[in-house]
Amino acid sequence: MIEEPYRWLDAISNRREYIRDRLKGGTPVFAVSRPEGILLLGVGQGQSKVFEIYDRHGLAALGHPVDIEKLRQAAIEAAHLEGFNRSARDVTLRRLISFSLSSTLKNAFEQIFAPPIIVESIFAELGDSPAQDILARLHYDGDHSYATSRVLVAHRDSAAEAEAAEWINDNLTAADPLPKVASVCLAAWQLLNEGKSFQGVSVPTDTPPQISGKVLEVALLDRQRPGPAYYRPLQFK
Amino acid sequence: MTGDFLALLPKTTFPSLSGEGRHPTPLEATTVFAFHCAEGVIIGGDHRATAGHTIFSDHTEKILELDSHSLIAIAGVPAMAFEMARTLQTAFEFYRRSQLQTMSLAAKVRALSKLLRDNLPATLQGIGAVSPVFAGIETGDPNAQPVIFFYDPLGAHFEAAAFAGSGSGMITIKSVLHYLEHWGPHPAEMPVSQAVVLANRLLMTAAEFDAATGGVHADQLEFATVKLLNAQGIRTFSPQEQAAFWKDAKL
Repeated sequence: MIEEPYRWLDAISNRREYIRDRLKGGTPVFAVSRPEGILLLGVGQGQSKVFEIYDRHGLAALGHPVDIEKLRQAAIEAAHLEGFNRSARDVTLRRLISFSLSSTLKNAFEQIFAPPIIVESIFAELGDSPAQDILARLHYDGDHSYATSRVLVAHRDSAAEAEAAEWINDNLTAADPLPKVASVCLAAWQLLNEGKSFQGVSVPTDTPPQISGKVLEVALLDRQRPGPAYYRPLQFK
Repeated sequence: MTGDFLALLPKTTFPSLSGEGRHPTPLEATTVFAFHCAEGVIIGGDHRATAGHTIFSDHTEKILELDSHSLIAIAGVPAMAFEMARTLQTAFEFYRRSQLQTMSLAAKVRALSKLLRDNLPATLQGIGAVSPVFAGIETGDPNAQPVIFFYDPLGAHFEAAAFAGSGSGMITIKSVLHYLEHWGPHPAEMPVSQAVVLANRLLMTAAEFDAATGGVHADQLEFATVKLLNAQGIRTFSPQEQAAFWKDAKL
């Protein structure tokens, strides 16, 4: 059946539609590059959205829990093998995504008789300064791009992602403390979930609001930490 | 998905056990040791690496942190010992990140056993024997106490009640530590300032009788590598800190 080009395109299109439909249940995740480090934020069930990958690398993802886990394990394995065989400084996000994760996702997406990987993700690499931080957006089909601003949002709708990232960027200054950053991200999370516009929405207070029934998962790739591992979970009271 | 980093690595192939050949002169000697003090476990060692009668280096770091709550003191062939330490560092971090929990102390102790056993062919050939000391503390248990393990080159591990050590200089200081443990002053009751001085004096004693152990030269700020392990993690004493303890120590 798929030997015919039209059939193949049709199957791929159906697959894309199926994945997008499954992603509708997911809630957005965020990465923000700050002077203190890179803040990663998601709302889940505790250790289900935001993860440590390697010394300077973190992941925030939405999608099917099993697929998030597959992507996480693949990233951790690739990073640790590279770090062991060469050195920790040789583990870079661009190489990790270009040579390992992106091709794995693309292959999985195009294997139309195998179950698809339903995951949208953000990978972050901590630099010595905010200018050297790298944020990458990796899609379920292996397509990926690198952030041009200091904020990256992963959601099921790319237009809404861009609007949310711009709103977060506009409402933060370099002097804002981390609770304020988390608070602004969480406000964006609520607006995205409810499908509302960001036009005219005011900046929230410094304290992140509580979300009943779910857990706010926040972590920082902390520039001030002595290393070699810079990742640490954050708790806000 | 098991968190086993070693499973990802290709199997190491050692040269055949049979056959004759000239063995390269191994780099070994060393004095490394660990003992309990009032504030945790002190683990220390010299900086010298030798090849036969030649001093290969006097700046070798033999006390290596495996993660935030475990250490290894290496004695034996450095090529194998450093690789084992590096493998364990990666394996512990890999497990913590992939399994979202820290590896238990018992599993860490056994991981080192397994590496030593895998190194058996090189050990039997006389080109790769490693005899390490391991110190660690269970994380997540508020009542946990740090423990010391020593290993034979084949991988058997033994928990040390009071102290352990390895290397050619250990024979000398074993007697000293045994004496102190039984007739005092007891190292286990010493504050860290005294324990650090004791560690340096032990090393000076070892160096007095073992040419392959590097000594301590307080006037040149050359001290032993000394680290403290307890529930708070690992603390490394800088030469300046050790100099201050040394100066304040009673003769």
